[in-house]
Amino acid sequence: MDIEQRQAELIDHFVKQASNQKGAALGSVIVEATSQPSLFAFSEILAVPNIAEFEGTENSKYLDMLRLFAHGTWSDYKNNAGHLPQLVPDQVLKLKQLTVLTLAETNKVLPYDELMEELDVTNVRELEDFLINECMYTGIVRGKLDQLRRCFEVQFAAGRDLRPGQLGSMIQTLSNWLTTSDNLLISIQEKIKWADSMNEMDKKHRKDLEEKVEEAKKSLSHKVC
Amino acid sequence: MASSSSSGLTFKLHPLVIVNISDHYTRVKSQMNHSSSATTTNDDNNNGAQPRVYGCVIGIQRGRTVEIFNSFELLYDPSTHSLDRAFLEKKQELYKKVFPHFYILGWYSTGSDAQESDMHIHKALMDINESPVYVLLNPSINPAQKDLPVTIFESELHVIEGIPQLIFVRSSYTIETVEAERISVDHVAHLKPSDGGSAATQLAAHLTGIHSAIKMLNSRIRVLHHYLVAMQKGEIPCENSLLRQVSSLLRRLPAIESEKFQDDFLMVSLFSSFLNIFTIFYH
Repeated sequence: MDIEQRQAELIDHFVKQASNQKGAALGSVIVEATSQPSLFAFSEILAVPNIAEFEGTENSKYLDMLRLFAHGTWSDYKNNAGHLPQLVPDQVLKLKQLTVLTLAETNKVLPYDELMEELDVTNVRELEDFLINECMYTGIVRGKLDQLRRCFEVQFAAGRDLRPGQLGSMIQTLSNWLTTSDNLLISIQEKIKWADSMNEMDKKHRKDLEEKVEEAKKSLSHKVC
Repeated sequence: MASSSSSGLTFKLHPLVIVNISDHYTRVKSQMNHSSSATTTNDDNNNGAQPRVYGCVIGIQRGRTVEIFNSFELLYDPSTHSLDRAFLEKKQELYKKVFPHFYILGWYSTGSDAQESDMHIHKALMDINESPVYVLLNPSINPAQKDLPVTIFESELHVIEGIPQLIFVRSSYTIETVEAERISVDHVAHLKPSDGGSAATQLAAHLTGIHSAIKMLNSRIRVLHHYLVAMQKGEIPCENSLLRQVSSLLRRLPAIESEKFQDDFLMVSLFSSFLNIFTIFYH
């Protein structure tokens, strides 16, 4: 949540810049935005009308690049490298960080092998350094590195920009969560009622027992007399 | 009688004070019930079913901020309609030894609203503190009420019908606490029946706590859901930063697999209650 606060200023800054520029200057604004180390959110910039105008023109590759940073991963870049402008090292780093976020979307436990393949990293040491320095220290990801099982358990990952269809699935997940918690509440209430009724039965049982004991005592004392 | 204060003082109230006052009132009330079942006539100063308790609040006043830390009980003398002065001074000395920085800031009582007779006590305290505060706790439980039933009154000189009079005016306050206090007050609030009840009552108490916690979580999620649906329908402009935060939240979600969870969870709460009982049993 504090990532969003940190980004908010940068987002405003770039949106303002993007609205004021046109053409090639706008392209360089995009490059600057995507190299900015603390900025991970690009949908606001994508929404600026000047950028949407890039569609179909010779600068459309900048638009594609921005889209790549908003929704895509490092592998997408490699597959499309011909159509996209060359990335500077800062952008390469950011794209790899965003790739980790995307992988964390689907699984909570990320095996090292998958990570190494997605990020083009050959040894575990480099992977761990990357995860620790670039992902955890920047605060976009929180989790545990399990070297014995060679996996990375994600506890928290910052959100990436939403693809158009994702809103529907988020709503679906939320309503599933709601139904599960409603059911849980109902079963807890039943258990509480059960516990209370068990208590009542137990007390009644005890009382009945004591009454029987009293009666038995009386009948015994009568027999003796 | 009560308009709002214009003195500009900021009041900070510690939860310990509220717990103290409520405890004092509860003790007096339950003793009254106990003794009135044994005797038929009772000519103390209890008015009907709601006894009034009185006491003193102490704390620190720094500039414009008045911070009320603690409180202690006082005896009310119904014949003179004032508080027992000697007792107050003795208590004040004792508290001064333990808390040298605390001063008497005012007094407290219970009831639904401030009354005329309270001004008498208020004026009596004015020689200890020029502007004492009056903390009033309303002991009647109102389930619809969302705020604390505690009001803080100050005294102001207002001209009413040509006569300058001291009247009570309400002041706003904030609750202030420190870590140690928070832990202890929380502990006191969660006291379970310590006679070991039965496994069932302890279990029921534990489950009720969890039930209310989950219910709160449920209502918050419902709000989020509603918000997202409205965003989807286009009633609200899309706010990307919020959507990103929600998606990151949802990613934490499959914390535990759901079917096994319910059984395990209930089993764990059962076990924990049983363990509680066994430890009490063996000690």
